[in-house]
Amino acid sequence: MNVAPISRRPLGCLKTALRQSRQQKALLCRSMATATPTSQKAPERLPDHNFYSIKDNKTKKIRTAFAVYKTPVVEAQPDPKKVVKKLPRNAPRVPAEKLPGLLVPPPDPLPLLHATQIARMDPTGARTALISKTRQGARPGDILMVTHRRGGEPFSGVCMSIRRAGIDSAILLRNHLNKVGVEMWYKVYNKNVAGIEIVKRARKRARRARLTYLRQPKHDVGSVSEIVAQWKKTRKIVSSRGGAQKAAKKAA
Amino acid sequence: MAPRLPTRCWWQFQSHTQLSTLTRPRTSPPSLLLLPRTTTRGVKYGWSTLSPRAKVTRFNQVTAGLPKPTTGPAAALERRKNTTPVRAGVLAVKKGMTAFMGKAGARIPCTVLQLDRVQTVANKTRAKNGYWAVQVGLGEKNPDNVTAPLLGYFEAKGIAPKRELAEFKVRDESGLLPVGVQLLPDWFHVGQWVDVRANSRGMGFAGGMKRHGFKGQEASHGNSLNHRTIGSLGQSQGGGSRVYPGKKMPGRMGNQRVTMQNLPVLMVDNDLGIVVVKGCVAGPKGCVVKIQDAVKKPPPPEKFVEHTKKALEERFPDAAEMLEAARKRHLELKEARKEGRIAQLLAAGVKEDAPIPGDASVVY
Repeated sequence: MNVAPISRRPLGCLKTALRQSRQQKALLCRSMATATPTSQKAPERLPDHNFYSIKDNKTKKIRTAFAVYKTPVVEAQPDPKKVVKKLPRNAPRVPAEKLPGLLVPPPDPLPLLHATQIARMDPTGARTALISKTRQGARPGDILMVTHRRGGEPFSGVCMSIRRAGIDSAILLRNHLNKVGVEMWYKVYNKNVAGIEIVKRARKRARRARLTYLRQPKHDVGSVSEIVAQWKKTRKIVSSRGGAQKAAKKAA
Repeated sequence: MAPRLPTRCWWQFQSHTQLSTLTRPRTSPPSLLLLPRTTTRGVKYGWSTLSPRAKVTRFNQVTAGLPKPTTGPAAALERRKNTTPVRAGVLAVKKGMTAFMGKAGARIPCTVLQLDRVQTVANKTRAKNGYWAVQVGLGEKNPDNVTAPLLGYFEAKGIAPKRELAEFKVRDESGLLPVGVQLLPDWFHVGQWVDVRANSRGMGFAGGMKRHGFKGQEASHGNSLNHRTIGSLGQSQGGGSRVYPGKKMPGRMGNQRVTMQNLPVLMVDNDLGIVVVKGCVAGPKGCVVKIQDAVKKPPPPEKFVEHTKKALEERFPDAAEMLEAARKRHLELKEARKEGRIAQLLAAGVKEDAPIPGDASVVY
């Protein structure tokens, strides 16, 4: 380790001498450099801010303080009914609008997202009405019939449970097919479910929301095919000619 | 040769020996000793005391006709170029899972990720930091809970203190973004692939069955007190009379970074502030996730990349000005703090917790 002062080092090499003088110049000029290159343009505006100070706990004097900026915010206004149109690929670009502040979304987007999806999948509101908690809606204990989109036999059964979960709302139907108990879940808002009809309403309101006791032989309704067949008959009568007469018969 | 000592050490030597008055170099003024010491060794300057002349890359350079080195920061960046995304990503909060119902009857389980005041905070450059990256912040934080160094950091940027900060590596300088602009969900488009990174749910101290999928032992047939234990730890003498290092055993599980790659974006909504991706995402509801363009898929079309970057500039045209103004202000306040004038400053005109002026005119 060479600890000799600069003056005592051999200056035989010119390169060394030049280097030493360069270093000393650097030491003189650059030791206190805190100045940063300033822009020529004067600042037009400063973001809004408050001062936040940190006080010493014992002396209660201000130890230090900082400017804490608060950017203006714009509350977003989501609309479930808004339909987002899909633009063609080569559509000209629409320039974005200037935002006066940061766009803040609603804290809980999930219910709003559900509402948007339901508005899309159920524009008439029929499916929503079916599972709504009103006298006109379906209730556990009613016999419902579900028609599939792809055709085939409609599935009917006693409604054992209604799961209300926004777009994922579903109903559980129980029936007997060839003397085998079958339960099926159907997503109410899914397009594969073409339609749901109330075949027969329960005589008495069930005293619970999930009728799993129907699985026991004592309470099992069994096959609902006869009830459905009867209902179909009355429907056909209504829709055929001489409807007024038979409509009275149906009402009876 | 050993690293050269800083010059100030030699001045100290000189001041002791009075014999050296004749041999003292002309260019050394005595006032130099009264100047405060300037740091030349530290994180910012590189810890080494080696002079720039001793740099390893000074010789055997490519310009001399030698092949490019395959090691080193430059080679590493080049190697990873294709799997580094072109654009920065965003931070989001996991809000929960639902299902996306399609018009044709499809039901796609999906995760809803919400962008809450996501702003670019800083840029990392290859010259200064050795790589290209964009630092992004999310949310807000009460200044009471922000440390003084961070308060100064945000003061210099003109941004409110953020709850979370994260960096997103980008391929090159075209991926850098202006500071202070907000990133909205339409940074992504429907149908594009993204990678979502988050810390998984912590499971605490988990047993062998949960942690490693061990099958446990019998429930009956004489088994006593060992239904879920891990059983044997290995061989006896034949296995070295020890338990192998790395033997799967119960321990802390979860709360680790997990990346879900190649998730398609199903929906993007600026008003709700959400990006809906297909499938599952690590972490509990309310956790912060990082979303970025998928590395294992081709980057988004150049047109889209330009379009999103332009949108930022159109939404926040004053970003550069605000940053410059905030920076200037910061330097002034920094000096005041250093000189201890800050309390006077506050007393003089600037009030704490003052109502925010409508036009950002500050009394100073």
